[in-house]
Formats: sequence, C-alpha cells, structure tokens
Amino acid sequence: MSTRCILIIDDEEDIREVTQLTLELEGGWQVLAASSGSEGVNLARFHHPDAILLDVMMPEMDGLMTAKVLQDFPDTQPIPVLLLTAKGAMEVMDKFQDLGITATISKPFDPLQLVPTIKQLLAWEE
Amino acid sequence: MKILLVEDDEYLAQLLNQYLSDRNYIVDVAVDGESGLNYARTFDYDVLVLDVVLPKLDGITLCKTLRSEHYQMPVLLLTALDNSRDKVLGLDAGADDYVVKPVGLEELLARIRALVRRGRYSRPPILTWGPLQLDPATCEVTYDSRPLSLTPKEYALLELFLRSPTQVFSREVIIEHLWSLEEPPTENTLRAHIKGLRTKLKAVDAPPTLIETIYGVGYRLQDYEDAPSPTKTGQESGNNTTLNAIQALWQRIKPNVLKRVDLLEEGISALAARDESLQGTARQEAHKLAGSLGTFGYHYGSSLARNIEEMLVQERDFSQSQIDQLQRWLVELRQQFQRHPTAAMPEPPTLPDPEQRRLLIVDDDRLLAEQIAEEAETWGMDVKIATTVQEARPAIVTYSPGLILLDLNFPEPGEDGLMLLEELARNRPEIPVVVLTVRDSFQDRLSVSRLGSQAFLQKPLPMPQIMEVAMEVIQRSHTAAKVLIVDDDPEELQGLKTLLSPWGLELEALDDPRSFWQSLELFMPDLLVLDFEMPHYSGIELCQVVRNEPQWRKLPILFLTAHTDSATVDRIFQAGADDYVSKPISGPELISRLFNRLERTKLLQNLAELDALTGLANRRKSSYDITNLLRIALRHDRPVSFAMLDLDHFKPVNDTYGHATGDLVLHRFGEMLRESFRADDVVGRWGGEEFVVVMADTDAASAVDRLSQLLQQWRSHEFLLDDEVCLKVTFSAGVAQFPQDGDDLPTLYRHADRALYRAKEAGRDRVFSYDPQTDC
Repeated sequence: MSTRCILIIDDEEDIREVTQLTLELEGGWQVLAASSGSEGVNLARFHHPDAILLDVMMPEMDGLMTAKVLQDFPDTQPIPVLLLTAKGAMEVMDKFQDLGITATISKPFDPLQLVPTIKQLLAWEE
Repeated sequence: MKILLVEDDEYLAQLLNQYLSDRNYIVDVAVDGESGLNYARTFDYDVLVLDVVLPKLDGITLCKTLRSEHYQMPVLLLTALDNSRDKVLGLDAGADDYVVKPVGLEELLARIRALVRRGRYSRPPILTWGPLQLDPATCEVTYDSRPLSLTPKEYALLELFLRSPTQVFSREVIIEHLWSLEEPPTENTLRAHIKGLRTKLKAVDAPPTLIETIYGVGYRLQDYEDAPSPTKTGQESGNNTTLNAIQALWQRIKPNVLKRVDLLEEGISALAARDESLQGTARQEAHKLAGSLGTFGYHYGSSLARNIEEMLVQERDFSQSQIDQLQRWLVELRQQFQRHPTAAMPEPPTLPDPEQRRLLIVDDDRLLAEQIAEEAETWGMDVKIATTVQEARPAIVTYSPGLILLDLNFPEPGEDGLMLLEELARNRPEIPVVVLTVRDSFQDRLSVSRLGSQAFLQKPLPMPQIMEVAMEVIQRSHTAAKVLIVDDDPEELQGLKTLLSPWGLELEALDDPRSFWQSLELFMPDLLVLDFEMPHYSGIELCQVVRNEPQWRKLPILFLTAHTDSATVDRIFQAGADDYVSKPISGPELISRLFNRLERTKLLQNLAELDALTGLANRRKSSYDITNLLRIALRHDRPVSFAMLDLDHFKPVNDTYGHATGDLVLHRFGEMLRESFRADDVVGRWGGEEFVVVMADTDAASAVDRLSQLLQQWRSHEFLLDDEVCLKVTFSAGVAQFPQDGDDLPTLYRHADRALYRAKEAGRDRVFSYDPQTDC
C-alpha cells in the first residue's frame, strides 16, 4: 500500500509542527501543512491527500468556511475531513453537520494516540 | 476478553456461551435482569450482551440503570422484537448496538468485536508489541511472522497484556479478567499458564522474559527497546522517538509560548486597571494555550488556560475577586513551565462539580445573606437563601446543597441553628456545614464542632474570607484522599504536588524524615508515599515503624525508588510496603498505582463502616446487615427481635459532666453491647444515644428478658468521675418482633420506637415490647 498523505490546516505554528511530527513518526505518513484555510484548499486541490485535519478557529477563512469550500470542489469533496477543536467548543459542531465532516479530535490531544485515533476514525486497516 | 451474557433462554445461553468460549472469550451468564445488574456492577466486562425480555428486570431498564450510574462499557441488546420503535427505545436507553433474534453467530461475534474496538478506540484492531502480533478477528498470534499455537487461556492472557501493554497486572486482576465466576483458579494454575506461554514464546525465538514478572506485584509485557523502525511496528515502540522529538520541538517553541503568556498577562493586568481593550487578545492567547499545552505534556497547564479563557469570555465588569482569581491562575500557569512535561494521562477531574457548587445560606439577616449570595455567585456557585430554620428544612431536601452556611440565632421561638445542625448531623452527615454567627462562647464552639460542622466563623467577616473558607470546605469534603509524601528532595516534592493536586487529593509534603511521626499523627493520611533513600531515616525504616504500630498497620504505603533490582524490591516488600513506583516517576503510572491502592482501602473501609466511638456498626452498615438477617429469617421461617435502645437522661450527663464523660459512657455502653450479643445478631449505633439491637432466632418475650438482664448489669455499672461523684446511667428499650409486628425494617423500627416511647413515658429504665393495642 502506498503511504498515506495527510493535510493539516491550522494557523498555529506549534500545533501544526507537533501534529506533523507525530503523524510522520508514529504513522509513517506523508504530511502537508497549511497555515490558512485558503492555502489549505489549494494544497488539497493539488495533492489530493487521503485526509484533512482542519482547525476550527482561524482568522480570515475559518474552519467552517474552509470546509464549505472543500465541499464545493468536486475533486476535494470526497476527502474525509477531521476537525480539530478545543474542548468545550461542541456548540459549533451542528453547523458542520452537513459539510461532510467525518469526526472531531479535541485539543489538546495526546500525541501518542493521534495516529491510532485517526486510523480508527477513518477505518484504515494496515 | 470477558463478556457478560444476560439471557433467560437456557438453550440460547448455552449455545452462545459455547460458541464464544470456543473463540477464546470468557463468558459469564446471568439468567435474569437483577443478577445481570449485580454482575455488571461487581465485575469488569469488556462487553455486555443483554436480552430485552428478561425476568425481574428487562434489558432496557437494566441498560438505563447502568448508564445512569455512568457505566461505560459497550452494551449490545439482543431481542426478538424487530420494529424500529423497539430499536429506538433500546438505543435511547444507552445501548450501543442492537441484534435481532434469531442471531447469526458470525454476525453477533463481528458486532461484539466492533463494539470492543470502539469502546477502546485508542487501540488498533490488530494488537502488536514489537514483533508480536495478535489478531482478535482470527485469533491468530505471530511472533516475527512465525505463528504461535496457544491454548485458549494462554491466548487470553496474551490478549490482556497486549491490550494494556504498559500496565502491570496483579494476579487477582488477571484471574478476574480471565476466568468466569464458576471456575476460579489457584495461583499455581495461573503460574502454569504463564509458564506455558513463556515456553511457547521461546520456541519461536521470542525472549521468554517478554512476559516480565514484577516482584510482589504481578506481570506485564517487557519494554521493547531495540524494536525495529517505528513506522512498521505501530505506536508503542515509536513512543520514545516521538516523545523525544516532541520534547526537542518544545524547547524550540517554548520562547513563543512564554510570549503568549506575557500577552495574556498584559491583558489581565489591563483588566485589573479597568481597561478592557486587550481582553480579546488575552482570550485568544488563553484559547491557544489551552489547545496546545496538553499536547506538549502540560496537562494541568492546559486546564488552567481553559479556566482563564472561560472567565475571559465574559464581556466586561469583572469583580475584584474574579481578577484575583485570574491572576492566581496566571501565576500557577507560569509555574508549570518550571517543571518537565509529563507523558500523556487522563484528565484530572475538575473540582468542584456543579452539584457540589450549590450553596444554601440559612440566616435571618436577609441583607447579609444576599450580599454573601452575590459574592458566592462570582465564585461560580449556585445559591439559595432560607431565612428561617423552618424554611431551610425542605430546601435541604429539594435543593440538596453541597454546602450549608448556617447562622445560629433566629428570632422565632424554638428555632435554633444548633437544632438544625443536630438534625443534619444525624440525617445528612454528608453535607458539610459552616457556621457563621455572632455568638462566641466556647460552649457554642464545642457543640458546633461536636456536631460535625466544618468551620466556625464569627460575624462580621469580609465576604471574600467567608467564601474562601466555604470553597476550602467544599474542596476538602470532596477530596478523594489524604496523601502524605516523604522525600528529602524539595524539587521532587514540588513536582509530585503539581502532579497530584489536580486529582482532588489533599497533600502533605515532608522533606525531613525526622519529623515524620508528628506529621503522620497530625495529618492522618489515607496513603503514604515514601522515598527509598533519605538522610537520617530511610524509607524502609519509616515503613517498618509504621507497620509496627497497630493503628497504622493498614495504611497503604507506596515507595518511590531509583533501584528496581530484585534485592531492593525484596527489601521494600519485606518492610511491609504495598507497592512501588520507579524513579524517574512516570505520572500516569504513579496516579494509577496510587488510586488502585486507595480504592482497595476504601473498599475495606466500606465493608467495616464502624462508628469510631463505640466500635459498633453505623446506621448504614447495620441497616444493611439487618435487611440481610431478615431475609434469612424469612427463608427459614424464624423469628427475629428488633430493639431500639436509648440511654436515659443522657443530655444532662453531657451538660453536667462534659462531653468527655458523655463519650466515655457511650463507649462503655457500646462495649457492653458488643460483648453481650452473638455474631449473628446486629448491634449498631443509630444516632447520638440511640442504639439498635437485632437478635436472630429470638422472639419478643426472650428479647425483653435478655435486655432486662442487660439493663440490670448496666445499671450497676459505676462511672467514677472523681472522689465524690459516682455516675450511674440507665437505658430504656422497645422491642418489636419480626414478622408479627412488621415484616420490613421501617415498620419494625417504627413499632420498636413506639414501645420505646411508652417505656420512657412509664418512667424510663425499663424494657417494653410492642403492643398493637396500645402502640397504634
């Protein structure tokens, strides 16, 4: 099986870095990182990752809008999107319901559990 | 993997049991809903499979009951009812899946597997540990791709270890997980299985020590240090590499994080100066810190940041106490960065819970009460006010406060705070009470503290001070346990404090073992943590001293040690320790070991539940025993006598000779009762001077005889207080007989109490039995 490719969209550098590092080391996956929604959409259209990890709270184009745009393009529409949300922010969730969001991962997350969690949420058998 | 099957259809139960057992599942079968509920409450199962239509308690109610008790394990409902309404009912009751009979066994098993995966989603479907792999779907085990042929028990053992690869499993835990109730094995049997497993591992060139014996504790999987590349073997072996990389990353970004904290501090300082312009920025920074710190191993830091964020969400008008709180959190947050991050662990419970935050103020001064209420609300409390004792009583029942703030003086005649306090001490001892009063006599203070109040505050007092005491009392009353830590390294102590305090533990840290005994007696811990190596006295010496003292023989003791060679470990257990954790300390391991110990102690305490003063069972424990005794008596059609005893004129004893004398009298009386009745009987202290004696196999007439003899003996008992005063005490008693005078505990109690009342009316110092004619 070819290596999985994951796209992270998060405006916070530290979270982006720790996530990238974890996914590379623990999952052996290829990781793309974007620091804004628009950059993320462009990367997604170009690389067609196997999954997208999307932060909810971002300046300018926030997670909700990014998810909408991803749904609008037929080539990015089927890519599963996992939301990264701070705990206690569940009230925003129902807005995302019709946007093809597969599941959510709450922040802060345990880096050692991230890969198994993603595999489980996306039902990836390896 | 252990499954509880609740199914009343014997044939189906047998079939399922056989099928599941053949696939290495351990199955307990309960044949009705009630026993199913008891099984689930008592033992650990990985999955519950419930029939819907069951005798005594149906599956849906059973499921609802368990879920209301926060039962977490997956539940699968099994039923012949196949319409969508039933499914909705079942799923709404908290079931995770629903299978319609007749069942395809393959499908049922696949669903069980899926549920277990979901229940423990952090584990991948194929369990791996280095080159060792176990596939629960096919029951295949391989080491370095070489298949192992295991017996069902060996397989189950290995699966258990692989599901929690870092946990040490004690023999009891293994037995509880791997054997059903009907066939508990001996320890030798378990050892034989472990040995068999090791031999088979050796045969495929795996190290036989892969299953490591932790001396005196149990077994666990050995660490994989030279495991191949992490990408191939999954998470466990990659942990160290990843953690090191995260650690390095943290060092690089730490300056940025500290800048965030600076921004946050600026925002809070501005708020303190009534400038709200930076509030938004501060809130954002707090949000980011909350979201990221935990990922880098600063879990408590994350929750502090979240607290700050939540408070900053409020638009404006921060009270001074809120600003103070923000600043305290900020200081604490900064302190976090002085220590090393800890490996991931479960979130500590946030204290206090909403239900504990309910405050009931009982004070006739409405103005003052409202001021306090206002202050309390800024502390996140929910408040209710009662201005009379009469008003307070129903409020206590309906509002069920987490704390009561009680005034002693009320203008209405016959209304007294002390009276309410006494009622509370008797009926709702779990609710902490803080007394706030203008009274200041020593007598008042004494009575208040005797009635179990947590604090005595004198009016007038500044609001924040009242609230500080109140919060402290709430925290204290919901503290999981008191832990005394002795370690000569102050930094290590600080680290342990930081690690343990969010868990609701009350901590006492001692860095000089020379003052150990004093600390032990003052603090009265529920658990003791000892460093192995210390100046003056070693941990071993302290441990031995503690074990030699009868009072402390049962205190759980946990060692911290840098040496884990078998000789050292041997010495630790020889000295009487219960467990040890190796240094450098891993937070999650310490937490889980510590709570393990505490839970076991708590269990033992609950079993005992003795009244400290008299050594008799308390009300709860004796009620439980009496109910049992009545059930047995009913089955064998035997009489039981239920007696209520009350010491006569006891209040004057306390008032005249002091409470110490009163306590002595109670103690002696308890002693006499304990010595006078058989093990089958139940003797308990139900309140101040109120006792209950329940005699098995005894009718009312014989009971009255026995109690009268006892009264004679007690009457002649002299308490010599000093040369001049010689005190004698009597008692009155009422007896009711089961089942003639009542077939349950409340009725028997009511009737025995009526007889007791008549005995008192008749001049006290006598024993009466219940008479339906007069006592109705």
